[in-house]
Amino acid sequence: MSAITLPNRTPGKPGPAALISAMFATVRARLLIVSRYKGQLLNEIVTPIVLAAMPILLGRATAGDRASEVFLANTGTANYVGFMLIGSAVFVIVSNAFWHVANWLRWEMETGTLESIYLTPTHRVFVAAGTGIYSTSRSTVGAFVAYLIGSAIMGINPFQGDLLIAFLFILFGLIPLFGMTLLYGALVLKLKEANAMLNLMQWVVNFLMGVFFPITVMPAAAQFIAKLFPPTWMTNGVRSAMLGVGYFFNEWYFDLAVLWFFMLAAPMLGVWAFKKVENSVRRNEGVGQF
Amino acid sequence: MYGTVVVENLTKTYYTKQRKGLFKSEPRNVEALKGVSLDVKEGEIFGLLGPNGAGKTTLIKILSTLLLPTTGSARLNGYDVVTDDNAVRATVGCMLMGDRGLYWKLTGRENLLYFGALYHYSPADRKRRAQEVIDMLDLGDLADRSVETYSSGQKMKLAFGKALINDAPLLILDEPTNTLDVPSASELRAIVRQKNQQEGKTVIYTTHIMAEAETLCERVAIIDYGQMLASGKVAELKSSLGREHVTRIAGVIPAKAVEAVKKLPAVSQATLGSVDGMAELTVMSHNGTDTLARLIETLGQVGATIQKITPQDVTLEDVFIAKTGRTLAENTAVDTGAKK
Ligand SMILES: Nc1ncnc2c1ncn2[C@@H]1O[C@H](COP(=O)(O)OP(=O)(O)OP(=O)(O)O)[C@@H](O)[C@H]1O
Ligand SMILES: [Mg+2]
Repeated sequence: MSAITLPNRTPGKPGPAALISAMFATVRARLLIVSRYKGQLLNEIVTPIVLAAMPILLGRATAGDRASEVFLANTGTANYVGFMLIGSAVFVIVSNAFWHVANWLRWEMETGTLESIYLTPTHRVFVAAGTGIYSTSRSTVGAFVAYLIGSAIMGINPFQGDLLIAFLFILFGLIPLFGMTLLYGALVLKLKEANAMLNLMQWVVNFLMGVFFPITVMPAAAQFIAKLFPPTWMTNGVRSAMLGVGYFFNEWYFDLAVLWFFMLAAPMLGVWAFKKVENSVRRNEGVGQF
Repeated sequence: MYGTVVVENLTKTYYTKQRKGLFKSEPRNVEALKGVSLDVKEGEIFGLLGPNGAGKTTLIKILSTLLLPTTGSARLNGYDVVTDDNAVRATVGCMLMGDRGLYWKLTGRENLLYFGALYHYSPADRKRRAQEVIDMLDLGDLADRSVETYSSGQKMKLAFGKALINDAPLLILDEPTNTLDVPSASELRAIVRQKNQQEGKTVIYTTHIMAEAETLCERVAIIDYGQMLASGKVAELKSSLGREHVTRIAGVIPAKAVEAVKKLPAVSQATLGSVDGMAELTVMSHNGTDTLARLIETLGQVGATIQKITPQDVTLEDVFIAKTGRTLAENTAVDTGAKK
């Protein structure tokens, strides 16, 4: 045998530390790449403000001075400005977290680097997680800044209610989203297409999670579907903690427990589906073609 | 075990759709590999030779675990590509689709560091190995410039560097000189040879350029339509053509000349290709001088104008021609319409 040394003792069976290290190397690589495309962060700050401004102004125009009164009767808070700013800020975090695996896969397919990743012994789920950590941190900072600026412009106090609980809802909400984003990524891996579906789903999610209105004004069937969707619990949790619109199960910890359940189930389902699709794609044309 | 490849009866069928207008399509299967067997030994440079569409990339993608075979098996470094895919990935260095496999927005070094991480090097080892590769390939100042600013030769060199990052005993290179000009291509081949001779790395090298396989490889397998036509030492393959003489005739040669020449008793094979815009007829015959006179006569009869006649040594290209009746420049397969 020649004097070749292999990089690891049991080839292809990395320990958890090696996988976490690969994950954070992905975060770093992603940061470096995006820092070389300008204008991304600005886009992420401006979007939620504009998104929230539309219904706020519409509300003022149609209901005039009575806007907050009507809103109070329907939602439990008169602060419709805060309601919508929170809704759109959470929406930005959610939609970004929801699409990032799909977007990332599409991008790597088109640049041709996806096969390079598949050639390495790091499982793609960890690369996806690294991408997720990076992109979620970025959109969370963006959404938060947007919320602060939006509050200043609209003249409301951004810090109301129970901020810690609001934060918990965001944190717990993001993990089930990672599972859902893997499901969606699996679809993109199979169909090699993201845009048409992404656009459609964008509005379905927007509608279901109640960005601009409480889901209680929706028909019962739609409410039921909306509640199967973790971001709905996340948005409502944040609004309840900050504006007191009311939890679905009355107490914050019940709602948070529901998110806990999603937090375990969704990633398991996501990883399972992603691996399944990967194998079916490898059995046919492979991940490199699009 | 390390540095070996054993392929047994590998087949691969792609299931695609043949588009018929806007909405209609019908299923269409492409048998890209039809039972390929190979045995690559430790420390050799093994050439996979075949025209466009022969199935080389398909085979390489199965060996590198990007695709699963339809039937058959393959073991690399002793690991099975289906059941032990992660061990295969960890112990093989691949260069596929050239420079497309790199992050163009990152620098050369950043690319190497990132892939080092994906191969599970510790941060310190990553740095050390990236620097080793940079020095080995003489990348110098280039290493800290973003890849998009590289020339295509420099990009290919870095792509080769990426294949070296995990210091694997086995390298798989799919047409690494594809987009390179002549000097860059020979530079890259020299580095491949050096890795083979100095570090004992086994190399699988695909190409559709015969001369490249001849200069670089000890053994080659010729593949066409997903099947192995021949395999063995380059010299053996050539001598397998036996007493054949090869004559190349350049000039203005009508297509019907091929049939006419083939009718001559001593001629075993004739193909018409073109070199630098001039038609070139390659003729294999049993006896050289006797046939030459009759060749010239026959070509005169079909209205050909001969400008140059070169008797030649047998090349791998001639082996291919003898087996298939085609030159390598001709494509194997009808285009399936598959978007690549
Ligand atoms: N995803 C796919 N779906 C259907 N057919 C495919 C697919 N990929 C490749 N093929 C077909 O399989 C055959 C072998 O292709 P392959 O890419 O392996 O050839 P190759 O020898 O690498 O050719 P080249 O020298 O052009 O790179 C070709 O007929 C090709 O059209
Ligand atoms: Mg190829």
